[in-house]
Amino acid sequence: MDFISQGILEAFRLLLSGDSQTYSAVAATVKVSSMSMAVSLAIGIPAGFVLGYTDFPGKKQVRVTVDTMLALPTVFIGLLVYAFVSSRGPLGDLGLLFTLKGIAIGQTILALPIVTALCASAVEQMDRQLRVTLISLGADRLRLLKTSLWEVRHGILAAGLTAYGRVMTEVGISMMVGGNIKWQTRTVTTAIALETSKGQFAMGFALGLVLIMIALTVNVSVSFLRRK
Amino acid sequence: MPLYQADNLSHDYNHKPVLQIGQMEIPAGSITGLIGPNGSGKSTLLRLLAFVEEPRRGEIRFDGHPARPFDPRVRQVTLLPQTPYLLKRSVFQNVAYGLVIRGRRMDLQSRVWEALEMVGLAPGEFAARRWDQLSGGEAQRVALAARLALRPRVLLLDEPISSVDAASAQLIKEASLQARKQWDTTLVIASHDWLWLNEVCDDIRHLFRGHLLGSGPVTLVFGPWKPAGDGGVEKILPDGQRLKAAGRPDDPETAVAVLDPHQLTLSSRASLVSPDLSRLEGTLIQIGIEKNSDRLVATVVAGNIRFAVNIGPEDRPGLDSVVPGATVWLGYDPRQVKWY
Repeated sequence: MDFISQGILEAFRLLLSGDSQTYSAVAATVKVSSMSMAVSLAIGIPAGFVLGYTDFPGKKQVRVTVDTMLALPTVFIGLLVYAFVSSRGPLGDLGLLFTLKGIAIGQTILALPIVTALCASAVEQMDRQLRVTLISLGADRLRLLKTSLWEVRHGILAAGLTAYGRVMTEVGISMMVGGNIKWQTRTVTTAIALETSKGQFAMGFALGLVLIMIALTVNVSVSFLRRK
Repeated sequence: MPLYQADNLSHDYNHKPVLQIGQMEIPAGSITGLIGPNGSGKSTLLRLLAFVEEPRRGEIRFDGHPARPFDPRVRQVTLLPQTPYLLKRSVFQNVAYGLVIRGRRMDLQSRVWEALEMVGLAPGEFAARRWDQLSGGEAQRVALAARLALRPRVLLLDEPISSVDAASAQLIKEASLQARKQWDTTLVIASHDWLWLNEVCDDIRHLFRGHLLGSGPVTLVFGPWKPAGDGGVEKILPDGQRLKAAGRPDDPETAVAVLDPHQLTLSSRASLVSPDLSRLEGTLIQIGIEKNSDRLVATVVAGNIRFAVNIGPEDRPGLDSVVPGATVWLGYDPRQVKWY
């Protein structure tokens, strides 16, 4: 058991002393998850609103497809993106393999269905009287859309948070598409996997603590926003 | 020119017809009541008059012009739904919403304050409260204040007092009438509170199964109906009396007979009922004066069914000594019964 307690102590030392290798992995994780979340939210929120609010031919089929994509395993997404961006793949010329951008593409495929499906559910659960109320108070179509989105902000926040949680903690995509290259594409999760396999628990614990701290910060911010 | 003119209006939800109205007019500045059982189409009619929804067929002309949802003209119309929705914001922001989107920021605070005061909510105490810190009656009054802040030309109220406490109901009633008094607002009120409607409305329309049955509180008698010996049908009331009706409804199990209050007579003795009419014995439970006329409106319970009777001045002398609680006799002509 000693190695666990020593590992945790060492983890605090690494974090407090500003160990560059540890913080390089943290920086890679923050950078890549920000890219994938920005794209996922930009596309997923409007798509979820359309899916939840409007009726169109084939809506049920689209919904089933999006819901199915919620269960996509990260290693499969990793395989898919790898196949497309490797030198033999159709996007091989773009040089995305073993880059943070490549990982971000994979993580977007992971997060987009989550944001879309959960936003659609939040919009579907919206009170039917909201539309009646807004129109009868004089809202035009654009105002109706904006206010409706604001009214379901808690559901949208929850969608973003869930997607962020999955993006931050996935290993498969980062490992396969990023290649776990030190100082470049090594993220928090791939570093933990590597250090653990080497029997180096200290850095693993340190990075795990960072992940928990990030999750805590995000959740505290969200609960603050919820009260708004 | 009437403020509203509706022609051949019909609406359905999922291909199920919910409203079918040939013609309807509502004069400007009037108070119109809508009465009818649940599911009769009152809320649908109000949503169409509020231009929140578009009728499947037919046309509604507002102020002489055909109007549709989102037309700038229909911004003068506002609807208070039965279960109002409050935005997840403060009371002030809820009441101010309609004014803010109209760009009226100059006198925003005074208009919001005025509207809150109209519905009996102290602005200093309530303006900063969150939407989820209100009781049911307070929430309903905030929703009404949000409409009153607009000083609307038309205010449509859908069962505004059906699920609130007595004090809120009183305040909602007073605020609605104040709107009419101050800004000449046209009011259309759907309510089960017949006494209130009778007291304040210039005209009351009865809706049933999506059809306008006419003005006043008609009596509805629900099936099942059994064949009577004379070729018509009859319903045996719980006290054993028989209500007769001519004709054969399509489905005697579910058919609803409609009795016009103007075609019922009220007598203090059985012998006073015209021999041409069928009669029912009942108890007078209510009698009052019809608004803007010299007629009386009475409610009589016979065999657990409430009958509305409209009494003209010519029939009043024989009823002078009749007070609520007295046994009375209803006269009716089975051939005048209509079916729905």
